[in-house]
Amino acid sequence: MSEHEDIEALAGEYVLGTLEAAERSAVTARREREPQLAAAIEAWERRLAPLVEAAEAVEPPGGLYARIEAEIAAQAGLAGAGGSAAGAETADLARRLRRWRAAAFAGGALAAGLVLVILAQNLLRRPEPANFIAVLQKDAASPAFLIEVDLRSRILTVRPVAAEPRAGKSYELWIINAKLGAPRSLGVIANQGFTIRPALKDYDSSIVQSATFAVTLEPEGGSPTGAPTSAPLWTGRLVQATP
Amino acid sequence: MSRVARRDRAAFAALYHATSAKMFGTALRILRRRDLAEDIVQEVYAKIWERAGDFDAAKASPITWMAAIVRNRALDVVRRKAPMQLEDLPEGFEPAAQVSDPLAGRDRSEGLRKLLACLDKLDPQKRQMVLLAYYHGASRDALAQRYDAPVPTIKTWLHRSLAQLRGCLSS
Repeated sequence: MSEHEDIEALAGEYVLGTLEAAERSAVTARREREPQLAAAIEAWERRLAPLVEAAEAVEPPGGLYARIEAEIAAQAGLAGAGGSAAGAETADLARRLRRWRAAAFAGGALAAGLVLVILAQNLLRRPEPANFIAVLQKDAASPAFLIEVDLRSRILTVRPVAAEPRAGKSYELWIINAKLGAPRSLGVIANQGFTIRPALKDYDSSIVQSATFAVTLEPEGGSPTGAPTSAPLWTGRLVQATP
Repeated sequence: MSRVARRDRAAFAALYHATSAKMFGTALRILRRRDLAEDIVQEVYAKIWERAGDFDAAKASPITWMAAIVRNRALDVVRRKAPMQLEDLPEGFEPAAQVSDPLAGRDRSEGLRKLLACLDKLDPQKRQMVLLAYYHGASRDALAQRYDAPVPTIKTWLHRSLAQLRGCLSS
């Protein structure tokens, strides 16, 4: 097989989707630095794209556009607050965390491995009240995830603070409340940025407010069984963030 | 798309409403879980808002560009999960039903007509493999199980089918 045919076959299979994970990542990396391969991939995308036209459309849930808008607003808000430098956003979060933690200590709200904090300032710079937040952590020195819940829209926003992405694993968020019985999954948390979803829309607000939120490390894509497969690594509970 | 690149929210909303059902269907067929498909579609549209300026109309139509982003993300996710099992593939999947029936009597684009004509020239099993892979994210392993053939044979069949398609489409 000539080199040209090799590239065509590889690009074709990449677009078709039949490559295994390791081959896919290798091609994803190679297309950045091999214009010939990149061009072959784009040509295959064009060749096969009419199939999308032929395929059945499935209406996404009505709330999805609102989630996209919220994610865009969150990105814009953070970019505005933290500047464009990559570290600025983290620094800004770290600064807010210190402030929250100080508030929590002052209020005597530190309890058994989780810190409940009062957010003086809206994390996402959205003006609406009825916002609740939680910091999920093992101990006071190691916050891992921030959660914000808007009880009116039931939209849950979660983002990693210090949790490191783990190859081949996903962090999954759970809601735990005796009234619910077993822990219920709130979905997998993206490794970076905000994960925003109306995951709480089926839960009563009193249950949400008194629940413990926990994060476990699961196989990539989330627990295959629907139940946590590891002990919680981080936990926390919600406190009201705005009056 | 150029209006989206200029931060036109109305254009972005129109783009979403015109394309999101196609994109959600595309992600859902590959991922087979609504929550994962919702996450991918959310991520991709947020990315499109950020990166609409990267769209190159000379290289692809907006739908081709967007579908490629959705499929790549969905395939990345599904390939890193546990290997797809035989029973995960849609039962009774028929390419004719999938491709032809929904469009019967409707206008087909020139590109789709030509692609379907070329797919028809593949033998039926190979055509079905191509469609299972493209629509449902079937891996070589899943195809090997389904067609009871060794993985290297599947790979050879895929390469031959792709070469034949490319030849047919360029004629």
